[in-house]
Amino acid sequence: MERLERSFYSKASMYSFIVVVVLFMLMWIGTGQFSHMDWMLFGYMVSSFIFFIGITVRLTSWIMRPATYEVLKRSIKNMKTKKRQKRNFKAIGKTLFDNIILQKFIFKRGWYRGIQHWLIAWGCIGSLAITFGLTFGWMHFKLINAETYQMVVFGIPTISMHPDGILASMIFEGLNITAAMLLIGVIMALVRRIGNNDLKVTQRAEFDLFPLYLLLAMTVTGLALTVSYKLLSGWMHPELALIHQITVVVFLVYFPFGKLFHLPIRPMAAAVPMNYQEVVKVDTKECAGCGELYSNDDQIADVQQILGNQAFDLEMDNGNKPSDYCTACRRMIRVMDHLNMKSKFGKVSGPVQTNNGIHVPGFGRERSEEFYNQAVKEEVKS
Amino acid sequence: MKKVMYLEFERCIGCRSCQAACRECGGHDAKERNYVEYIDFFESRQTFPMMCMQCKDPACARVCPANAIQITEEGVVLSAMEEKCIGCRNCTFGCPFGIPKFDFEENKMYKCDMCYDRTKHDIAPMCASVCPSDAIRFIDHEEMMELRRKRTQMNLIEGKKPSENDKWQYVPEFFGVYSD
Repeated sequence: MERLERSFYSKASMYSFIVVVVLFMLMWIGTGQFSHMDWMLFGYMVSSFIFFIGITVRLTSWIMRPATYEVLKRSIKNMKTKKRQKRNFKAIGKTLFDNIILQKFIFKRGWYRGIQHWLIAWGCIGSLAITFGLTFGWMHFKLINAETYQMVVFGIPTISMHPDGILASMIFEGLNITAAMLLIGVIMALVRRIGNNDLKVTQRAEFDLFPLYLLLAMTVTGLALTVSYKLLSGWMHPELALIHQITVVVFLVYFPFGKLFHLPIRPMAAAVPMNYQEVVKVDTKECAGCGELYSNDDQIADVQQILGNQAFDLEMDNGNKPSDYCTACRRMIRVMDHLNMKSKFGKVSGPVQTNNGIHVPGFGRERSEEFYNQAVKEEVKS
Repeated sequence: MKKVMYLEFERCIGCRSCQAACRECGGHDAKERNYVEYIDFFESRQTFPMMCMQCKDPACARVCPANAIQITEEGVVLSAMEEKCIGCRNCTFGCPFGIPKFDFEENKMYKCDMCYDRTKHDIAPMCASVCPSDAIRFIDHEEMMELRRKRTQMNLIEGKKPSENDKWQYVPEFFGVYSD
């Protein structure tokens, strides 16, 4: 593996190369040694390759980040542990169902946002699946006889259907259905972005709005194609097809580098119940200061490891690290340190106690003479 | 951004106006992002306000496995991007000051961003604009330096003298995002 890695310019280029080779092989199998190539989709195919290269490069550099690497390392270790299989299975299943299929957590941020996001997400995933299936030739349709159509996936004949049946029209209209979902979702999102004053302050045109405009252009031109050949007997069809292809190419090239890149990294949410918090809000690790339960051992070990790997030296005088304390204790430690109040006399090397009880209201206690004598003694010593 | 945040913990009277102001801010969903807590409840009723330090190299962003915590051009450390945050709470444990908060309902982290939409135009953040005792101030860099000098003089009155080597320890804490 190391030798293979060294023969490439970078890890990203190595994985991109592997991904391209695998896609090419799948295409070779799917199109029956390139005998069923759909040359109408050539532009889509090239941009799909660029899409996969972009995703691979971005994912590689993302996984190489110390924090991501550490979490994934623990996930893989836990997945291999036999004892944890039940928990792993449950965690992945629950995340897949709640967070990815139903996206419950977004519905908790508001039903409008939930519906909007669900429509866009599944519209996108559905469209991408159909696009890649067709452009790489992973599936195609074959006419067996005048009454039967057959779907061929990777050269293996699968379901047969009547060309006018419900199943067939569902499959043929697949992209129209996903496009309609996207159109509704994108319009909902744009209405929200235009009308919401809070969002107007923080949103960025190139990050938050551009992908929405792009999706809108893509769905409108895509649906216009259907309108053109169904209702207008093919009026402007070649021009519309070209415009639609341009929008899709821009989208596929943009996807790995913009806001939509969150799609491939979301599945890591399964790492949270799998490695850290099995049940939400149930903690097992005690705070070194107040003894309250605030986290779990594995997560704190990971956090300390990640910080250590990045040369964060946060060790305190007593050998503990800030992450050994709960957040409230950490805030208190900082203030006590800042006001030099940890001990009766404060730390000699620390800042002067600005709360001297004389000049500043708030602290009523007057200090004993002992304090000042001690301070003088320490001064002499140092 | 020419101004800085200046905190004087001793001036805090515990009225929690800063928290109320923070809750009022649009987009905060009526949840405050700053803290007002007792320093040592059994000793005195002194409270302190606490908000994010806006670190140059933030530990919270470094421990985020999803790369969701971003830093603006002005140097403000933002809340986790909603679309990326996977809800692991690493940031709340990584932060040495205990600042980021976590919303279990909506499964996302949120933290003080120094009202960057206001401060980048040199308008005081919500908390500083309402603090009645000037424990939280949003002031010019010059003014902050002046205040620090005054505090140093006060320390001298108390009887402890800084030596050549540790002068810098004899000034109160200040922080904020500023560029000069």
